[in-house]
Amino acid sequence: MIELLLTISGVGMLVSILAGMRAPKWWLGSLLIGTLAGVIGAVMALTSGVVWDWRSELIVGGEVVHLRLDAVSALFLALLGLVGGAGAVYSREYWTERAHPRSAHMGRVWWSLMLLCLGLVLVTTNGLHFLIAWELFTLAAYFLVTLDRQRSEVRAAGWLYLAASHVAALCLFAFFTLLAARTGSWELGSMRDRAELAPLFWLALVGFGIKAGLFPLHVWLPSAHANAPSHVSAILSGVTIKMGIYGLVRFSGWLPVPTEAGWVVVVLGVASAVLGVAFALGQHDLKRLLAYHSVENIGIILIGLGFALVAAEHGNAPWGRLALAGGLLHVWNHGLFKSLLFFAAGSVLHATGTREMSRLGGLWRAMPWTASLFALGAVAICGLPPLNGFVSEWLVYLGLFDATMAHGAAAWAAIPSAILLGITGALALACFAKVCGVVFLGTARSQAAAHAHESGPAMRGAMLVLGAACVAIGLAPVVFWPAVVRAVDVWNPIWAGAETPIALGALSLFHVALAVLVLVAAVWFWKRVKRGHLARAVTWDCGYVAPTPRMQYTAGSFASIITEWFAWILRPVRHEHRPMETLPAHASFAEHTPETVLKYAVEPAGGVIMQLSMAARSLQHGRVQAYLFYLLVGLAALAVVVLIGVDK
Amino acid sequence: MILILDVLLHLAIWLLLAPLLPGIINKVKAWVAGRRGPPVLQLYYDLAKLWRKGVVLSTLASPGFVIGPAVGWIAVLGAAMLLPLGPAGAVLSFRGDVLLMVYLLALARFCTAWAAMETGSAFEGMGAAREVSYAVLTEAAIIAAVLSLSVQSGSTSLVAMLAPAAGAGAMLLAAGLFTVLLAENCRVPFDDPNTHLELTMIHEVMVLDHSGPPLAVILHGAAIKLLFFAVLLTEAVLPLGKLSPAAAAGVLLAGVMVVTVGVGLVESLLARLAFRRVPLLLTTAFLLCLFALLMAWKGGAE
Repeated sequence: MIELLLTISGVGMLVSILAGMRAPKWWLGSLLIGTLAGVIGAVMALTSGVVWDWRSELIVGGEVVHLRLDAVSALFLALLGLVGGAGAVYSREYWTERAHPRSAHMGRVWWSLMLLCLGLVLVTTNGLHFLIAWELFTLAAYFLVTLDRQRSEVRAAGWLYLAASHVAALCLFAFFTLLAARTGSWELGSMRDRAELAPLFWLALVGFGIKAGLFPLHVWLPSAHANAPSHVSAILSGVTIKMGIYGLVRFSGWLPVPTEAGWVVVVLGVASAVLGVAFALGQHDLKRLLAYHSVENIGIILIGLGFALVAAEHGNAPWGRLALAGGLLHVWNHGLFKSLLFFAAGSVLHATGTREMSRLGGLWRAMPWTASLFALGAVAICGLPPLNGFVSEWLVYLGLFDATMAHGAAAWAAIPSAILLGITGALALACFAKVCGVVFLGTARSQAAAHAHESGPAMRGAMLVLGAACVAIGLAPVVFWPAVVRAVDVWNPIWAGAETPIALGALSLFHVALAVLVLVAAVWFWKRVKRGHLARAVTWDCGYVAPTPRMQYTAGSFASIITEWFAWILRPVRHEHRPMETLPAHASFAEHTPETVLKYAVEPAGGVIMQLSMAARSLQHGRVQAYLFYLLVGLAALAVVVLIGVDK
Repeated sequence: MILILDVLLHLAIWLLLAPLLPGIINKVKAWVAGRRGPPVLQLYYDLAKLWRKGVVLSTLASPGFVIGPAVGWIAVLGAAMLLPLGPAGAVLSFRGDVLLMVYLLALARFCTAWAAMETGSAFEGMGAAREVSYAVLTEAAIIAAVLSLSVQSGSTSLVAMLAPAAGAGAMLLAAGLFTVLLAENCRVPFDDPNTHLELTMIHEVMVLDHSGPPLAVILHGAAIKLLFFAVLLTEAVLPLGKLSPAAAAGVLLAGVMVVTVGVGLVESLLARLAFRRVPLLLTTAFLLCLFALLMAWKGGAE
């Protein structure tokens, strides 16, 4: 049955690739059938625990095609199908033929190709095929990011993405070829007993870490996710960066890891979580801000994975299982609410033409659906009950608390991690209070925002599906728990069968009660207030007479307290012209937060390489005599080497 | 049936007793200043009056301006339902409920900040920004505090965590949690509930535009939150689980009274801090909780 569904899924994607150019309706239909079949297949694999294994006669690149769908793959495949399908529906309205005649058709083809290759990465068990599919989806994603390549910042973002992706790919080439050289085969699978493979983990960490966007390897992520079309940003943030997580989970499960691996992953995870959200607070561009939140959430996922690795090192303590379950559930949760938030941000961009928060404001009136769904996503991403973000963070916290209570060496990592996770949560809340307040509440700060309009049924429908998924995981985590645990047990079979006493039933009960109460209270209270004496007046605020939109608090001022605390790493650039004279005629203030790692580490390093290359270039000058001289020197050097070699 | 009675009992205690605390604080402040002060039940009268009044809404405000306070009130009450009331226990108790409690308070904060941003006023935005920024430090302190209680009791369920005493770090924890109480409830030295200078306020400035029933809900929610922190502080420090039910109830009541009077005294004797100093004091609170955690951890290892 799983085989049939996955075949349908694959065929559907292939048809949609062919139909993308000319027949958008066929494209959407076959793509939806394909993603739906993929999701159902993944769900069946997760619920039944059956591992689908299929070895064909087909040979690609000298290797037999061998596919396998186990719980870990299925977990990611389900997310891919859901977000891929929703994004396709969204794009029919967001990136239309009429608005983008030059890129709409290619956007559809690349979208299908990317989904197909992402799926192949998840199910292949051959290193070579993994690399091929990996490279193909990276390229497809590049073309999707640069769909709107008339704009120079889009081209710059695309170039940075391509360069970073290929550094990652280079590490993965080294990883897979070294693995193949040592095992004698491209076949992948569990090889936990071969301790000599452990050092390869570091290559995988860098390669997959760049893709996942963990700090400080995230330099490409903010600009690529901000400048891509919004449905592409959604799938990049929601799914493709999770491929980095998939790689780390997959290969830390299959291969032995060095003893320090867990600690390193924990430190990277905590750094990504705290600094990701700190950078997000410094942003004024709505989509760039959301992109930095991906760094934060990848950090939370890695904290879960890191503690699972530490636990595996310390006699497979049960708290590692909780932490990894939390991390893997957060893969789903982040995929859902981040895609939802990017869809909503796209809806804002579509309606107003700007991502600059200081030009928005008061959008709830024109766009009630977008505003409500963005608020839902914001509550979820802040990890607030009763939505899904809380459930996964709660599991990670439980793992950390149990690790602390176990009094082992792991407590030294668990105590700071738990506290910093709390700080991350509070920072995320501050950030989303800012975004919701500045973008959707108050009053419009520009003409564009004043003339906004709600997006149509396709965009709203895609957002509603993802919002419903967020609510479902939040209210009924019990239903999703077995699937996550199955993936965790595939990762570390020693844990399989162990009972983790986990009060998800009580949590579900509380969440449902909370949600019902909130809904009832909201509706009843609003009606109660409307029935009473309700007067509308200008904002009072201790005596405003004629408030203007410019008097509202801005995104920069809202975040200023916290960005000042983090100024040591954010390094905000300020241009200020203070009012100096008695009757100041002119005053201005501008501030933006550049990408610190890119500006202070990558760019200087790139500059050094450029200078060295320029110096080397002076060897190439077109004088034949000098070239003859080089040849002579080269021959002499070779002769010396050969002579010394002979003497030995 | 018993469950329903239990829920009703808890609801009655939290809803009816909470507005008493601000009244007591005001009485203490009046007493120290040599005034007669408003009656202890003043907040009850205010709430009853506000509930009957009409509402003036800003032209910019969405329904979220009214719904926000209601959701925040439910969130605080939900957190209170998880907190055991001495011998009466909690309405619902399960492993990890302590984190749910912390995040319910965060949900209430989000709702308050949301409602504050609705009016498009700079003052209210300023208050919301301060509230969510300082909460970062209090959140760290609270996580350190509950982690120390977890380590002390070997549990992540509030009922089990709060039964024994806080052990060697009790005084540190008490000092840390008391500071957190002052910050989270917007009391002096972090905020001045009496001030009318918008530029210097945190919480009060966020609710400037609220009126009528929504304001009543906000005031009542704030009172529940104050009682919540007073109960949490008392139970965290004193070994209520080791006493007989009657004695535990008495001690809890006395503890809450001591905390309340303490807040009143602090408010009478201290001036509000300059805003630059607020993070310093909050960091001190965090460090106090962190040291309590380290003492608990060290104590358990031996």
